[in-house]
Amino acid sequence: MSRIAILYSPGTNCHEETAAAVERAGGKAALVHLHELLLGHDKLENYGAAVFPGGFSYGDHLVAGRIFATLMVARLRDQLTAFLEAQRPVLGICNGFQVLTEAGILPARRPGVRGMAMLENQSSHFEDRKVRLLVSGEKTMWTEGLAGKLLEMPCAHAEGRAMIPESGAERPRVSFQYTNAEGKPAADYPANPNGSPNAIAGVTDDSGLVLGLMPHPERASLPAHYSQDGLRLFQNLVRWLKR
Amino acid sequence: MAIHTVYTLSKDDPEARNWVAFFHRHGHTQLSRITIERVFWLEGDVNVSRLHPLLINPLYQVGSERSQLDPAQGPVVEIAYRPAVTDPETPSILEGAHALGETGLLFARLSRRYQFTGLEESEARKLASRFLYNKIVERVREPGELVETLLPSGRPDPVTEISLRGLSDQQLQALSIERSWYAPPAQMKAIQAHELRRGRPHTDAEIEILAQSWSDHCYHTTWKSLGLLKRLSHATAQINHPLVVSSFKDNAGGMEFYDGWVITIKGETHNFPSSIAPFGGIATKHGGVIRDTLGFGKGAYPIGGTTVMGTMDPRMADDELPEGALHPQLIVTESIRATSYYVNPMGIPMMHPVYRIHPGYAKCLALGHSIGLIPARHAVKDSSQPGDIALLIGGETGRDGIHGATASSTGMTGATLEKEFAAVQIGHPITERRFTSALPVLRDAGCIRAITDLGAGGISSAAGEIGADTGVELDLDRVRLKDASLTAWEILLSESQERMLVVVPLEKLDEAREILDRYEVAHVEFGRFTDTQRLQASWHGERVVDLDMAFLWKGCPIEPTAVIEHERPLKPLLIPEPRTQAEWRKAVESVVSHYHSCDQSAAGVRFDTTVQGRTAIGPYGGRNHRMPTNLYVSAPLRGKPYGMISTLAFNPFYGEVDPAAMARLMMIEAVTKAVVAGASYKEAVLCDNFYTPRISPQTAWELSQMVDAIADFSVELGIPFISGKDSSSGTFESAGRKIDVPMTLAVMLMGRVPDVKKIVTKEFKRAGNRIVLIGPSAGDGLGGSVYADTHGQRGDRLFNPGTSSEVRAVWNAVLALHGEGRYVSGSAIAEGGLLLRLFEAAFGSGLGARIDLDSQQAARSDALLFSEFIGAMLLEVSPEVEKGLASLEIPHQTIGEILPEPQLLVCREGNTLWQQSAAELEAVWSKPFREVVE
Repeated sequence: MSRIAILYSPGTNCHEETAAAVERAGGKAALVHLHELLLGHDKLENYGAAVFPGGFSYGDHLVAGRIFATLMVARLRDQLTAFLEAQRPVLGICNGFQVLTEAGILPARRPGVRGMAMLENQSSHFEDRKVRLLVSGEKTMWTEGLAGKLLEMPCAHAEGRAMIPESGAERPRVSFQYTNAEGKPAADYPANPNGSPNAIAGVTDDSGLVLGLMPHPERASLPAHYSQDGLRLFQNLVRWLKR
Repeated sequence: MAIHTVYTLSKDDPEARNWVAFFHRHGHTQLSRITIERVFWLEGDVNVSRLHPLLINPLYQVGSERSQLDPAQGPVVEIAYRPAVTDPETPSILEGAHALGETGLLFARLSRRYQFTGLEESEARKLASRFLYNKIVERVREPGELVETLLPSGRPDPVTEISLRGLSDQQLQALSIERSWYAPPAQMKAIQAHELRRGRPHTDAEIEILAQSWSDHCYHTTWKSLGLLKRLSHATAQINHPLVVSSFKDNAGGMEFYDGWVITIKGETHNFPSSIAPFGGIATKHGGVIRDTLGFGKGAYPIGGTTVMGTMDPRMADDELPEGALHPQLIVTESIRATSYYVNPMGIPMMHPVYRIHPGYAKCLALGHSIGLIPARHAVKDSSQPGDIALLIGGETGRDGIHGATASSTGMTGATLEKEFAAVQIGHPITERRFTSALPVLRDAGCIRAITDLGAGGISSAAGEIGADTGVELDLDRVRLKDASLTAWEILLSESQERMLVVVPLEKLDEAREILDRYEVAHVEFGRFTDTQRLQASWHGERVVDLDMAFLWKGCPIEPTAVIEHERPLKPLLIPEPRTQAEWRKAVESVVSHYHSCDQSAAGVRFDTTVQGRTAIGPYGGRNHRMPTNLYVSAPLRGKPYGMISTLAFNPFYGEVDPAAMARLMMIEAVTKAVVAGASYKEAVLCDNFYTPRISPQTAWELSQMVDAIADFSVELGIPFISGKDSSSGTFESAGRKIDVPMTLAVMLMGRVPDVKKIVTKEFKRAGNRIVLIGPSAGDGLGGSVYADTHGQRGDRLFNPGTSSEVRAVWNAVLALHGEGRYVSGSAIAEGGLLLRLFEAAFGSGLGARIDLDSQQAARSDALLFSEFIGAMLLEVSPEVEKGLASLEIPHQTIGEILPEPQLLVCREGNTLWQQSAAELEAVWSKPFREVVE
């Protein structure tokens, strides 16, 4: 089975637990520093899937994910395009999701062309919460067998409010929504921790292979955690790679 | 070089909206809108439009060459960093620009423009200076200001010699104050005598090094003089605990974990800078204590942290504020912002966010802890060897933090705020995060002989300490500077953050460089260890420091500290017992909504509690994840069940009544919180953090009593202190007023448990189960309580928890019950007493409780409900288990049962004293802290 690149940069701080979750799901994780790619020591094509983990890449300078995305688009655009065209799965968690939108990988797999953004939370501060996510019926590799289920996992971010322009030609598919106590999509704070419209917590592109998710599945993946629901996503990835 | 500007406006700005709401709550209702514009100042030969992808996201931002703010819409205040200070974002902008091919960009700066629609200019400036910027590192840019260059520039002062020969005692003292050395007379005389002995005057750099190395902050002169450091370390040595790996020697203390790993603990206060510039002070409090973990052994990895704040009441009126002090609301809100700013990017889970008040905290308490993880084989440093390389890694050296060590050792006055502005540092977590990732790799590759952080006293202190047994020679010209005007002594003393000193064996230097490059950690070889037993430094071709290590580390005269026994003028409590249901309601609500009892999650949710994927139980839990757990439990070794457990005890009210009794109670409280969760006190260690007023004979006596109390008690209980810190500078003086902090001791426990899944939490589990109180009975436990504080009283004595063997017997009994799985929820009595625990357990479960006081000894019902009878625990057991408890030889009573509906009910002799829904209590409990910070 091909290896799963966990792509990290200065300021990324969730790469180790993300690798641990991938391994627990039966996958083979490889920690890949962005600079190894920028310096040409390693290539994306060496991996079957890429995960952009959470954290504060480059200190969240300017805007969360902006510097990581700028470096990647400016210097790795061809590799990135080839990787996406080869139908290799991509997951962006939290800051990784922000990187994907800043880079234009979400919503429409167009590096350098932004089609959605993750804005500052309505509370204008960091929100560390335990959330319950409703998995939508959209068919995606990541949510196979999970449609309609409620998954528990933590979220921890300051910029998680999805902004999708009405006029946008290519809109993402909503795959995860924050829910209230009744298990219905939540409009109200704090069940919806950031004020995201339509309670959006996670979206995929048209192919369903590129997933951006604000909450942290890797923090709900081990027996010691309060929930192991997040493991399901990584298991789906591994199953897909093994197919 | 040409300077370009780019202005950006966001179409959607929650921050601006929330500021308007905030100012409205502060009475500025005429303010109708705030608009925030960012300005990028770019110097160099660049094509600005090619930088747009970096600076502007057109989906929600508009960029332009000129300001987009319409002057007619209200006054604009533009805030920027001071010219000598590098913006945190500058390096990232440069890196992004270079990637986009704009290599001509030399430097970048940022500013923020706030437009206040509806306010007069003077009012806008006033609000900006109180809430929006910190004049110590930032400033208001005036309109039309000319900028020649953005690059930090300047010329250093030369090194001078300062002869003390022939100066009188008075002249020595005047010089000490004028130069901000704050060295006491005996130290000035020792330096004078040293000059005569060695036959040549000291350089300014040498005296600066001596003054800061001998400051109370670095040298613990007060504690040494009173023999207190030895007292605690001797107690720990006497206990000789088999799990203790390192105590009181290294930057943190270490305890054996499982599978060849060690866990470490350290607590550090940063009171002075946090009092004058809370954002910078708190950010660097975290940065510093995290570096203590990184600097333990050959480099531990931080896996948990705390923030513990003691301030005056943030709700105090402006006219009650002591002149020269910052408003405590500002300190609290800025501290929350700073903790979020620093700790979240570091990727370290928050274990205990704690906020307390006391009128004595005019100079606030700003405490942070750090827990670390390290392989046992790397837990002890090697000695540096002649020929080893001193590698300085991390950030650049600037003027920030100069005289931090000496200034924080002195009392604080209104004038300090102005004079010692340089003592405040700015933190850049991304820089620290870079080497936090790199250090374990460097360590495991064998590149680290020893490592220490650069904290108080900067390079001179770190190099001087780590080279104390050999000698070290530093080349100051190699140090990377962020301010070209730094002179030699400033380079040596700068407390710029995010730097560490690594001792690298010469043969490992190339490998070390390669690893650091890989993680983009800046590094420079700036010294070499020698066999001269001297601290030497050269700068601009001159030897500017040449000090004998023996004089530096042993030459400080320790003067005896006068000690006078002292009795506090205390008054017995006079509190009328509530008589009616309405009076009971009022009493309960005032306790539940007290600052110390209330919901502080408005701060807590701003800190990441689950990052690293190790957290098993965070600071908030229960059904809705908002119940305070008073616990943090993690599973540090991924995939293994082994747990690290941490609890904290800190209570400023007790210190006002009886400092020594408080010290013991803090130990018992911290341990009891762990025991009731199911953690053995035999596998736990403690960390002490003292904060006391400037030493007088009376406080010296009380401090000695406190240290004696915990030293003796730790030996009796067999639970060692392995790390700690003291600060004896908690005095604020202004306009003829002197305000002392209360005698303060915070105790943090770190322990290990074999299985995190066996931890028992506080929330009720099942209706019909019985509530059992175990341990000492409530008796006389209202002294220093939250309940007494709601009546503006302290009382004349604290709760007497019994002897150490009685305390231990209760712990043993509860641990035995836990081992047999006989209770399903549990909590330790502490602040707010039994009543607060009942409410929290109900709130966290959606269940309720009925308490019957019929069987109680306490004459007064309020004494039972609100007493802080520390050492007692509340256990939830099934009716079957309850029957079996009869044979228990430890004092225990069934006091009630769990109800299916979220109601709390207290009866005595069949009469309902008080009854209220958990939802009503939640409403009053949630409010007070939220009103302070939102």
